[in-house]
Amino acid sequence: MNKQRSISTILLVFILFSYLSLPSCGTKKTKYIAQSLDYFDTATTITGYEKDKAAFDRTSGKILDLLCEYHRLFDIYHRYDGMENLYTVNGLKNGVHRVVKVDSRIIDMLLYAKEMHRVTEGKLNIAMGSVLSIWHDYRTAASEHPSDAKLPPKELLDEAAEHTDIDSLVIDRENSTVWISDPQTTLDVGAVAKGYAVEMVARELEAKGISGYVINVGGNVRTVGVKPDGNGWLVGIENPKLESDEPYVEYLQLAGESVVTSGLYQRYYTVDGKNYHHIIDPQTLLPAEGYLSVSVVCNNSADGDCLSTALFCMSFDQGLALVDSLDGVDALWIMSDGSKRYSSGFEKYTTAP
Amino acid sequence: MRMNKKASTAPLTAGSTKKLRNDIILISALLLTVLIAALALFLLRVKGDTVTVSVDGKLFGEYSLGDARVVEIQSGDGYNILVIEDGKAYIRQASCPDGICSSHRPIGHGGESIICLPNKVVIEVHTQDQRTPDVIS
Repeated sequence: MNKQRSISTILLVFILFSYLSLPSCGTKKTKYIAQSLDYFDTATTITGYEKDKAAFDRTSGKILDLLCEYHRLFDIYHRYDGMENLYTVNGLKNGVHRVVKVDSRIIDMLLYAKEMHRVTEGKLNIAMGSVLSIWHDYRTAASEHPSDAKLPPKELLDEAAEHTDIDSLVIDRENSTVWISDPQTTLDVGAVAKGYAVEMVARELEAKGISGYVINVGGNVRTVGVKPDGNGWLVGIENPKLESDEPYVEYLQLAGESVVTSGLYQRYYTVDGKNYHHIIDPQTLLPAEGYLSVSVVCNNSADGDCLSTALFCMSFDQGLALVDSLDGVDALWIMSDGSKRYSSGFEKYTTAP
Repeated sequence: MRMNKKASTAPLTAGSTKKLRNDIILISALLLTVLIAALALFLLRVKGDTVTVSVDGKLFGEYSLGDARVVEIQSGDGYNILVIEDGKAYIRQASCPDGICSSHRPIGHGGESIICLPNKVVIEVHTQDQRTPDVIS
């Protein structure tokens, strides 16, 4: 009897403990993901750790709202009721650009882009709209009629390139106005807008003490803090070799930094069996072809966006010199043959797969 | 054992009632535990590798990567033909003008995705792989 009772007691205690251990699963933070296809002509993914779905929905909803605001302000393709944006800045009235009073966020972004024009020695030029719109039109036409795909004539590009002087962009910070002095010059902020927007939104989260989030707008990744367990985020750098079985060429561990990848494989069209992608070198006016992809790791996602585009249009030596001259900036180049080159500090972010 | 025998021959004494009650409690507790464990295993069962398809943010379907199949994804005026074979998923054909989705490599690793912006279609791989990246650049 004593023996039997002791067995029963052991069993009951065991059962009790197994119940007690159940609720402990529910106290930690859970990973949630939100996605949108509405902004910056690419996919936005927000990943965050929260106690419950409602808390995540609040924060991710706020992030998407902010991204929406920046998307509209920086949109060069559409106008929106009741607001001036870059579409209206680009527009002509009686054959000339108007002086447009704009939101201070547009002023700040344009001033920033002008500064990056200086830093990148003109490789990042938002006044290249006339050239980029030609490529955009030919790419769009090709996607509708792939068999008729053509390259823009050299003369057309050369003529447009006459109107890409960054100094035509006149910014009056005090009065919050923008004016493009050359009627044939237009702005294209495709290499800076989303990185800048992501950075601004991330900073707003940080100012509120929010942590444990990642914002990814089309490969423009910005981590906000670390994961709840204190670990950094595991970031896969996409393999630009599309025929390869390996999806990632590198894994990074990031804790508050940003990584931005510019690649040939993202947006292109094909003429006579050759691919022409969307990153246009301001000097040659042709797609830059030195690399399969370039990734930039730094604290500021806007810098990452501008620099990854600029590095694409530079020789490796020139690009490495630029990266080395900047504090806290590192880069990974995937060369045309698939080999990898790193800046000196890049490997501190890499981790084993 | 001897005590057991003694208890069973005696009329219902206080001791044997108590023992019976204890047995019932023990058996019920055991049964309940088995039931809850079975339920938990069912709810938290480890799923195999799958692909999810969403259209305009809404889940369109979830398919095992292990079973070959062809899925026609209808999205408003457009369509994407999803093919699953050899543990990978790709778009064979689509109505979108840019063709970015159909030129994308087949995906089969955790976290990989194919996105068709014109049709608002997102195809994503889900695996139990511990090294699935949190984010892809």
